[in-house]
Order: sequence, then structure tokens, then C-alpha cells
Amino acid sequence: MKRLLLATALTAILPGAVFATEVTVAAANVAPYLDPGRDHSNVGSQFYFNTFDPLIHKDYTKADMQAQPGLATEWTMVEPTVMELKLREGVVFQNGEAMTADDVVFSLNRMFQATFPPYQVRMRDRLANFDRAEKIDDLTVRVHVKREEPLFETLLNLQQTFIVPEDYIKGLTGDPKVAEDADYEAFSLAPVGTGPYAITEFVPGEKIVYERFDGFWGEKAPLDRATVLHVGEVASRLTALRTGEAQIATNIAPDQLAMIEGDATLKVEGAVTPLFHVMIMNMNHPKLKDARIRQALSLAIDRDLLNEALWLGKAVVPASHTMEEFGPLYMPELKTFEYNPEKAKALLAEAGYDGFEVTFDTQGSYYTNGLLAAQAITEMWAAVGVKASIRDLPKWSGNDPEMMTRNWSNPMYFSDPFGSFGVMWAPNGPSEAEGRFNTDAEYAEIWDRFRFSKDVEVRRTAYAELMDRIAANPPVLPLYRPYEAWAMSQTVTWAPKAGHIPYVLDFRAGSISVAAAN
Amino acid sequence: MLGNALRILLRMVLTFFVIVTLVFFATRLSGSPLDFVFGEGMSVEDRAIMIRYYQLDRPIWDQYLAFLGAFVDGHFGLSFIERRPVAEMVAERLWPSAQLLISATAATLLVAIPLGIIAAVWRKSWIGSAVMALAFLGYAVPNFVLAVFLVLVFAFWLNWLPVVGNGTPAHFIMPTLTLAAAMIAAIMRFTRNAMLDVLGQDYMRTARAKGLPESAVILKHGLRNAGITILSVVGLQVAALAASGSVVVESIFAWPGIGDLLVNAAIRRDYPVLQFAVLTVALAVILINAAVDLAYAWADPRLRHSSRT
Repeated sequence: MKRLLLATALTAILPGAVFATEVTVAAANVAPYLDPGRDHSNVGSQFYFNTFDPLIHKDYTKADMQAQPGLATEWTMVEPTVMELKLREGVVFQNGEAMTADDVVFSLNRMFQATFPPYQVRMRDRLANFDRAEKIDDLTVRVHVKREEPLFETLLNLQQTFIVPEDYIKGLTGDPKVAEDADYEAFSLAPVGTGPYAITEFVPGEKIVYERFDGFWGEKAPLDRATVLHVGEVASRLTALRTGEAQIATNIAPDQLAMIEGDATLKVEGAVTPLFHVMIMNMNHPKLKDARIRQALSLAIDRDLLNEALWLGKAVVPASHTMEEFGPLYMPELKTFEYNPEKAKALLAEAGYDGFEVTFDTQGSYYTNGLLAAQAITEMWAAVGVKASIRDLPKWSGNDPEMMTRNWSNPMYFSDPFGSFGVMWAPNGPSEAEGRFNTDAEYAEIWDRFRFSKDVEVRRTAYAELMDRIAANPPVLPLYRPYEAWAMSQTVTWAPKAGHIPYVLDFRAGSISVAAAN
Repeated sequence: MLGNALRILLRMVLTFFVIVTLVFFATRLSGSPLDFVFGEGMSVEDRAIMIRYYQLDRPIWDQYLAFLGAFVDGHFGLSFIERRPVAEMVAERLWPSAQLLISATAATLLVAIPLGIIAAVWRKSWIGSAVMALAFLGYAVPNFVLAVFLVLVFAFWLNWLPVVGNGTPAHFIMPTLTLAAAMIAAIMRFTRNAMLDVLGQDYMRTARAKGLPESAVILKHGLRNAGITILSVVGLQVAALAASGSVVVESIFAWPGIGDLLVNAAIRRDYPVLQFAVLTVALAVILINAAVDLAYAWADPRLRHSSRT
């Protein structure tokens, strides 16, 4: 009561003094650079949504794609391969420049017709069907695709197609009329967008400071300021909540949950992440060429037991490479993967398994529970008679011809199977390029129907066929969707939203609120 | 004295050049950044694009010459990941690391030498034994265990001390203690042993016979002579700390130091950063050693005179 009186007295003395709403986040990792076009890492994905907008937003409370106006207010297909978008009036970048059609065309073409090498890499794996963007007038833009694009809206919602300021970027280094590689590099250290928070301080790998941007076109940001600090140790992140140095802590491991639940001032918000931890198998390894061996390895893994033991049952074990976020393409009815040790034994006998050793590669605990899962999986293989050992490597081995099996992740980059299975397992995609997955003309034909058909039913049928192919000659087993938790002070109301890609820290209006600490 | 300094300088330059060359080739032998920065699932064309972008397609001798050239322009190249000058990144981290090194060294000297003397003088009483027990404890407890214990007690339970970063003097207490603990234990033991050596010497008896007060005997005649041994051990300990000691502590206390930068650069094979950070640390070690060498010459008249001949 005394404190309350004091506070009242203070507000009376200082009219106009408003108590600032601030939040500090203790993050396991802070991005080494911030450029939504170049980045597709799980570290970077945390930080873009507060500062940048896409042309087309979505309802982020829903898992699937439900388009909403973003920097474009309406859009129509004027030709089968041309979308015309009307831009929102009065949008301003955080550096004070007005957003124009030129900025939009520049942002999109820097990806679609990439010259900067990191953009070229991103363009090829997900934006390859886009041809170019062109300006019609100050508030109208057309986007051209090479073939009819069933995922037009979804792809204009991508982090990689967020809108950035043309003049600002070009002016960062060298010739202010030309976008040089060095301009993009400089931009990733001083990013500017149209979102509700401006990034006012960025120390790569250590610190990001967001401040409310009052010129934002939509509902204003609820926080005056949000600071993200790199705190690598999970115990230190939790301690920072107790000492009041932070109000939110990211990446809380499942075994820490009990400790937080025992503290009345703290709480946990968690969700199943739109990402699969998977086990991959090298189709071209001489010992694993027989599909029956790989089927057996897959059938021998009791994924539900892994979930119970490693994730306290909070992860989700899929029956196929599918998740709710895929919307109309979500197909839980597919039974692509199962646990059946008897069948595994039979297949091994049939294939004439002669007791050779199967290695499972892991990069320490690069993936949460990665090493523990590797140990459990090799035990499960031993139970069906497969001799197995773990290779704990310091690096990625998916392109190593010696690699037999290993762990990996297949994140969802956007809400469609093309944004998850599709990025990784396309014909000539990364898995095939690394020499551990083969496709043929038939696979490519099914793929084409899945990727480009405008008829959802045709796409579903084609995806089911792809899954049959994967089951018959398996290169991958999705283990589970991991459970990801954030710990926070009771004063903070925040939770991950179902409609985001993994790990997004969404501090926009309606997503976070902070009660005054007492 | 001047000749001695010159010789030390020449040795420094030569050592530095050898380290520069070793670091350059060793980092390249350890793997390609493409496997670590992008890692998962890159197509052949994408790899080729990025190799060109990082200029790793040039012959290795070209790269080596460019690397040596970078010392002249003071830029030291661009980080593969952050795409900013490496010198800038290291400069950002250097001062926090130095702060921690200085505070840990100061704490060590302030605590270890007096306790070492006490342990030597009262070696037969319970006081000496208690001090030595403390020293063994400091030796035996690994610094990450001590750090977690301190965090648990003083931050998690008592809420007295902050754990994140280097913002205020209070932030220094736990990291300094963690880093200094093992050093204190080591220096304390060396001080005790060096003092015991000296205390048995004839000139100590002479000093006492002259009627000097006991404190002057121990501090002036005793500590002065034990000082050379202590100095060499302090030099080694501080150099070791500068080279490797603070990685764990920086991680636990979210200290924005060079250890964290080194580890990340090593994991990602960010050659330019790794090279320069290793060199910075090497230079720090070389400088500390050189300072110790010079201090020797100052502390030990025999060295001072021998260098003249």
C-alpha cells in the first residue's frame, strides 16, 4: 500500500511521465547477422517478424495459410502467371523513407533475379518459379511467375520476400545508385523494415534492441523496448529470470520444466515446433542399397518410446511426413512410417543381413536430445539384431559417401509440404545433390503434379504417391516434432503462435503484454 | 638492459610469424566453412557459388599472401558470417576479456600472496593447515562447477548478484571469483613453498640477528627473494588464462568476451575470425611472457648483470 501511494505521488509530481513497458529476452543464440532474405536459420527466424512485413500477411493464430492484407491491400491474378498487387498507402520505413512500388520491386527482384550469392542460394531452393516483379504505377506492382503457381500467396508471405528499403540499401556503401554485394552485407548489420519495431542496436551474436516505431502503418507495438541478450547456458537463462535481468528465456530443455513449475513467479509456454527431427539413410551406401535393410532400420525404431523418454511425451510422432500447418495438404491418414520390430527382423532375414555394422552419425547435441536419441535408436536396432554404433562428429556428414544413417531436421519454411518435405526432398534438391537420395523420371512426374497443380485434390493424391515412394525405398524417417519451451516471468503474457515458422519471437500488438511488476 | 629488450622483441616477432603461418594452415586443414556454416543439404551449384563468394577458390598460396597482406592494411579480412571487418569484431570482445583477466589477476595477487606467506610462517599451526586445505579445495574444484555453484547460491536462491554480462561492478564478482579460484590455489602454494625455501636460508638468520623486526625480515628479506619464483608462476598462470581459461566462464555468465567468439568461429570454421582471434590471444600471451621476462630482469640483479655481458 505504501508503495502504491508512493507510485501515485510520483505520477502526480511528474505529469506526463509514463512508465515504459520493456522486456528483456535471454536467448540461447543471437543471430550473427540480420537479413531476412539471406537467412533461413532457426536462430535468425526468431528476430525478423517484429521489424519487417511481407506483402501478404496471414492469420498467425491459425496453423494453416489464411491470407490477410500486409503491405499489399488487395491482389488478383491478371493472367495465369501474373499477380497484380495494390500497395498500402502511407507505409513508412523505420528510417523515415516512404515505401514505394520501387522498394517492393527492388526487394522482390533482389531475390528473384539474385546477383548476391547468398540470395542466389535461397532463390533456388524455394523461389525458383518466380520470374520478376515490375512496377505498374506508384501503388501497383505485378509479379510474374514462370509456371502457374498454386502457392503464390504463401510464397509472398515468406521471410525471404519481406520488403526492404531500396535507397537505404543502395546508399550504404559505394555507389548510391547501385546495389552492390557490400550494400547487402552492410544492411545485414543495420537492418531497416516497415514493421512495428525498429532495431536500434545490434551487436552480432550478442544483443538486439527493438524500439517501438511510431510510424508503423498498423496497430502500434505494445512494448516501448525489447532487448534480446545472448545467454548461452540454460541454467544462466533461468537464473536471469529469477534475478530479474530477463523476463523471457528461450530454448528451455524438457528436463528443466519441473524446476520452473516449482517457482510461483515463473511459468512456461511451449508448443510443438513446426519442424521434424528426422533420421536419414544413405540410399547409395554399398551396404544399404537394398531397400529392405533401410525399411527394417526404420521399422525397428519405437518413436513413441523416444517421445515418452526424451520429451516427456510432449513431442508429436507423425505417421507420415505431414503436419497440421500444411492446411488442405495435411494428411494424417497416410501411414507411411510405423513401428514393427517383427517385420523389421523378417525383412533383415529376407535381405540376408550378415551382421555388418550400421553407423549412426550425430553432431553431439546439436539437436536437442540428439545424442540421447542416437543412443536409444542404436539400442533399438540391437534389439532386432542389427549391430550399430554411433559416430559423434563435429560437422555435417550428409554429403559424405561413408555416411550410413544420421540425424537431421526438416523445418517448415512455409505452410505447405513444399515448404518442408519439398525443400529437402525435391528432384535435384539438396538430398539428391548430396548423393544420398535418388529420384527418377516417375518421381519427377509425381513431384510436378504435387508442386504445380492448381487442384488441391490432385496435389493430395500426388503427395500420397510421393509418400508411397518414400515408404517403399526410404531415405528418411521423421522421428518427431520436438516440443520447444520458453520460460518467462508471470508478469509477461506471451506464447508462440501456431501460424509462425519455428522460433519466431512475435512481439506485435495482440501477441505480448506486460503487467507492471509490483 | 636495452640489448635484452631487443632480443626479447626479436623473439616475439619470430614466434608471432610462426604462429601466423601455423594458424593459417591449421584452420584450413580442419575443414571447409561450407560444411559448418550452411551444413545441411547444399546442392553442388550452391556450394560452388558460396566458395567463389568466400574467395576460397583461389590457390592456397594466394590466400596465404592475401592473409599476410591483411596485416598491412589493418583490416584483417571480413568474417564469412557477419561480413564485417574481423578487427572490429575482435576489438568489441577484447576489452571485456581484458577486464576479466585484470580483475582475476588482481584478486589472485591480493589473496594468494598474503595467504601463502601466512601458510609458510605458521606452517606448523592449524592456520597453515587451514590455508593449505583451502588451496587444495581451489585446485580440486573445476571452474565450471564453482561457477554453477556460485550462480545457484548467490543469483538463483539469494538473488544478490546478477548473472548476465558485464554491466556493473556487481557483475564482476562471480566471474572473477570463478576464474581466480584455481589461480589463487596455485599461487598460494607456490608462495608458501618459495617462502619456506627462503626462510631456512642463512641470511634470514643474519637479518634477525641484526635485530630487524620480524615483519621486515619476512617481507623484505624473505618475500623479495621468493618473489622471482612467484613471478614466473604468476606469468605462466596469467598467460594460460589469457589463452584458454575464460571460455567456460564467459559462457556461464554471458560475458561478451573473446572466448565465446573463438569457440563460435572454430565451430563454424569462420577462418578470418578464427585466425585473427587466435593471433590476438597468441599476441596477448607473447606480451605477457615478454612482460614477465622484463620483470625478471628488474627483480633479479643476476639477470640484469648477465645481460650486459
